[in-house]
Amino acid sequence: MSIMDHNGGSVIAMAGKDCVAIASDLRLGAGAQTIAMNFEKVFPVTDRLYMGLPGLATDVITLREKFRYLTNMFHIKESRPLQPSTFAHLLSSTLYERRFGPYFCEPVLAGLELTPSGTYQPYIAGTDLIGCLNFAKDFIVAGTASDKLFGVAEGLWEPDLGPEDLFETISQTLLNSVDRDAYSGWGAIVHVITADKVVTRTLKGRMD
Amino acid sequence: MNSFATKFSPTDADIELRRAQEIAEEEGMSDVMWGSEAGFGNLVNGHAFNIPSVPDPSSFLRLHTDDHADPNCKIKIQHGTTTLAFRFQGGVIVAVDSRATAGSYIASGTVKKVIEINPYLLGTMAGGAADCQYWETYLGIQCRLHELRNKERISVAAASKYLSNLVYGYKGMGLSMGTMICGWDKTGPAVFYVDSDGTRLKGDLFSVGSGSTFAYGVLDQGYRWDLTDAEAQELGRRSIYAAGHRDAFSGNTCNLYHVKEDGWKFIGNYDITKMHYDGPGEVAGAPGGGYGYDVRTQGRFSALAPTVPA
Amino acid sequence: MECSFALTGKDYVLVAADTTSARSIIKMKVDEDKIKTLSPHLLMAYSGEPGDTVQFAEYIERNIRLYHIRNLYPLRPQSAASWIRRALAESLRSRQSYTVNLLVGGFDTADKTPHLYWIDYLGTMATVPFAAHGYGSYFASSLLDRYHNPDGTLEEGLDALRRAIDETAKRLVVSPGKYTVKVVDKDGVRVIDL
Repeated sequence: MSIMDHNGGSVIAMAGKDCVAIASDLRLGAGAQTIAMNFEKVFPVTDRLYMGLPGLATDVITLREKFRYLTNMFHIKESRPLQPSTFAHLLSSTLYERRFGPYFCEPVLAGLELTPSGTYQPYIAGTDLIGCLNFAKDFIVAGTASDKLFGVAEGLWEPDLGPEDLFETISQTLLNSVDRDAYSGWGAIVHVITADKVVTRTLKGRMD
Repeated sequence: MNSFATKFSPTDADIELRRAQEIAEEEGMSDVMWGSEAGFGNLVNGHAFNIPSVPDPSSFLRLHTDDHADPNCKIKIQHGTTTLAFRFQGGVIVAVDSRATAGSYIASGTVKKVIEINPYLLGTMAGGAADCQYWETYLGIQCRLHELRNKERISVAAASKYLSNLVYGYKGMGLSMGTMICGWDKTGPAVFYVDSDGTRLKGDLFSVGSGSTFAYGVLDQGYRWDLTDAEAQELGRRSIYAAGHRDAFSGNTCNLYHVKEDGWKFIGNYDITKMHYDGPGEVAGAPGGGYGYDVRTQGRFSALAPTVPA
Repeated sequence: MECSFALTGKDYVLVAADTTSARSIIKMKVDEDKIKTLSPHLLMAYSGEPGDTVQFAEYIERNIRLYHIRNLYPLRPQSAASWIRRALAESLRSRQSYTVNLLVGGFDTADKTPHLYWIDYLGTMATVPFAAHGYGSYFASSLLDRYHNPDGTLEEGLDALRRAIDETAKRLVVSPGKYTVKVVDKDGVRVIDL
């Protein structure tokens, strides 16, 4: 078993029309044993940007703390909003700093980017564990159920979904994928981000 | 038109069958493979399995089938499971999960891990699915032959000893089974644990598989000899739920059987997630409400971390 | 084999750890206390690699004490657990890392709630109502799913703990014989005789 599978867990992000969604499961395992069912892997970065961190749980916590510090420092020094595209590069370079002894996480970003015309545009991205950025127009997946998530998302996602339809699509994709993965599941949490608010819902998932 | 001619000319199916028989003969397969012996003909006629033609077949097989030593090994054996069986005043309870995994992939959630050997004997499946299925079905044949020869049913002790001796003969060749042979004979309810190492144990209570420790935790604490039928069935269900909940490689559903004097009876199939949230439903012995810790305690643990603040 | 258990109840946290200190196949000591009192309302059970355990536990103990001396008030359980986790996570990526598993239980005197944290040698931390380390956890986690009551009395909590310890003694091949049990509540830390 790889070190990336030790604690289990998966994250998915999807883009919709003027909205994005990001979701994770809630399992924390130690190999085959399930330790806790309240371990969130998606964290707010700004009001309109969330980051998912599936992978080794110790690094999930460390990176969450690290990026909370870095974003706070950005706000203090720059006193301007942190845009998703800016944060993506901060993320990438921070991960690459550990090129020869990486954090075992594959971050996923979902947010809304401010355009010069003043509107918000969906922004989703993912990186590997040493910070190679990967942009997508449709969805980004990561974690122990990533191969299953790819398959289901490929089948369910369609362009220009509204917030409610996007919530339904991302929820069904996540729940059905983790049901085929031994290391993910035990409940889920979904965040749907629109220009004026973020709606967070917890989902009842299979508990085995 | 020429109905007379077609009547005697070979049909497509006939040609197919004949061709299959010719191929079979060429490859040294005998007719019994196709006939009433249901694939067990090679054993009934005293033949044995093909064994790799190398100087030391058992070490060759060990090298290629044991995935403990070598995770990249070509032949993978399914290990994740929870099965349990226990003896009590009212007979034997047999309960199993239904998950099959290949690595981290959940290949199936509807596996039958209780093998109905005959109306009085049940076997459970842990380890190699094919090994258990094949040898316990074969055990059923031998038990029937015993009945015909001796005009009485085979005892659970004898049946399990037969299986134990049989798998011991293949020791070191990669057979993988951990099974409980359960039934009712002249001596009353009986449970025997038999595995592919050749271990055979008589006992009151066993659990086998990756989730067995979790099942034991609940099972041992709730077990008494004078359990009622309803209480015993509930204990079996609750223990499989516990393992399904905590072990990544066990889960999906629980199959429950109860063996009494007049043979085994299938009690039911219970979804483990449904048991978590709502309980097993309207069944004897159920306390009402879900088994899940959060469901049972209604979030009364005050210090559980709230959703991370922005 | 080393085992430790902990559980929360109504306004208290119970922490138990076995008392054996083993080297190879030999029990070197059978009355070792492996639960440290870090501050007036904070307990930490530690297990793992011999040597690392005591070194790490004393390092934590001294630093938590230092904080208390400097600030005249102790760290709250949440903050203490977070700091301890960080110490382990940073150690993991050093040349010689501490292989120590912890159960940190405390009573927060500010909001009067019990807190329990499961922390492993990698620096993984989980907030849980009950927890266990070692082979005992394979029996105790399912058992406590069934029998733990998050707002039970101390007596109920001790009953659940006894069940977990008895089950481990019954099923584990090399089960520890004796345990130290400590409780932390609004009155501070006490040792309990099971």
